[in-house]
Amino acid sequence: MHLTRLMGVAILACALVEPVVAHHSFAAEFDAEKAITLEGTVTKVEWANPHIWMYLDVKDDRGGVQPWQCEGGPPNTLTRNGWSANSLKVGDRITIDGALAKDGSKTCNARMVKLADGRSVFAGSSGGDNPPPPKQQ
Amino acid sequence: MRRAAGQLLALFAVAAFLPAPVAAQRDYQPPSGPTPRTAAGKVDFSGVWAKPYVPDMTKDGKDQKGMAVLPFTPWGEAEWKKYDAAEGDYTGACLPFGMTRSVNTPEPMQILQNDKYFGFLFEQNSWFVVVPIDGRPHRQAIPTWFGDSVGRWEGDTLVVDTVNFNARTRLDTIGHPHSDQMHLVQRFTRPDLGHINYEIIVEDPKTFTKPVVNTRTFTLRPDWEIMEYSCEENNKSLWEGRIKVPKP
Repeated sequence: MHLTRLMGVAILACALVEPVVAHHSFAAEFDAEKAITLEGTVTKVEWANPHIWMYLDVKDDRGGVQPWQCEGGPPNTLTRNGWSANSLKVGDRITIDGALAKDGSKTCNARMVKLADGRSVFAGSSGGDNPPPPKQQ
Repeated sequence: MRRAAGQLLALFAVAAFLPAPVAAQRDYQPPSGPTPRTAAGKVDFSGVWAKPYVPDMTKDGKDQKGMAVLPFTPWGEAEWKKYDAAEGDYTGACLPFGMTRSVNTPEPMQILQNDKYFGFLFEQNSWFVVVPIDGRPHRQAIPTWFGDSVGRWEGDTLVVDTVNFNARTRLDTIGHPHSDQMHLVQRFTRPDLGHINYEIIVEDPKTFTKPVVNTRTFTLRPDWEIMEYSCEENNKSLWEGRIKVPKP
């Protein structure tokens, strides 16, 4: 009974997650079935429409460093939610949960971006099925 | 008692994972008051409006009632089945979204209105559409992305009627089709200061056997201003080849 109710609440919570951002179809560029988690260091942030882009260096299994790029939400929506180009700085350690690009490049669509201390930073992504950008607390 | 406490804890635990904007959007209350009117006595729809994001017009959502099953003609169904966004979603190339898909976007829009004109100022890609509402007929214009719109009053309802589409657009992000025979009707009413009741009716005998209807609620946001949105500025997905340019 407990479990049933909890599941009900969880389903309700999922239903409340509203998409926010859409410049183009998610499926035009990314594969929702190819999830990826990246941990790395920010090297650059481009704060421009139609989407912000975050660049990060990610260590690979052999100790090398691979450059990745990840798309986030549009600056307009992020600005309304209290974020700015300075919210994420070069050198910040971040973890990105996202989806890989279909072309196999080191490119992702960021669903969630977290700092090392666990705080969420802007993401929001371009996918209609993705969570909205978090609001700055 | 322990059971109730456990359920309450579970609720808090789930709530903690809810994105803050969702809570903010649900908490937001527009100013209250009577329906504003122009000096001429017409309902005044002016303002910056939050509207529901509708990537799929078959789906329901907050402030959105979709049409679950689209009444496709054989032509319409074939168009829908063969569509693949990866082969060239025109919006990825920053080409004009068209009327339905612009209204569907999550970004707000501003409405400007006087006795002669009703203007849609879409934040999405900074597009605008000016609609004469002084009784003139449709122009014999060449087909365009947004079509040719005129407006008329039915009591306190403003009806925006649009034809002459170029058929290079899609109804929504997921890619539902339409043809150059599309006749679009948008009905606006403003029951109070803070809300617009909106109905969009897609008539397209080549694509659908009967009209496709969505109903929505727009919410006044006097605390927002429309911001510039340059789609081309950093559309690196297109430049780097991950998004294909659609073929005409």
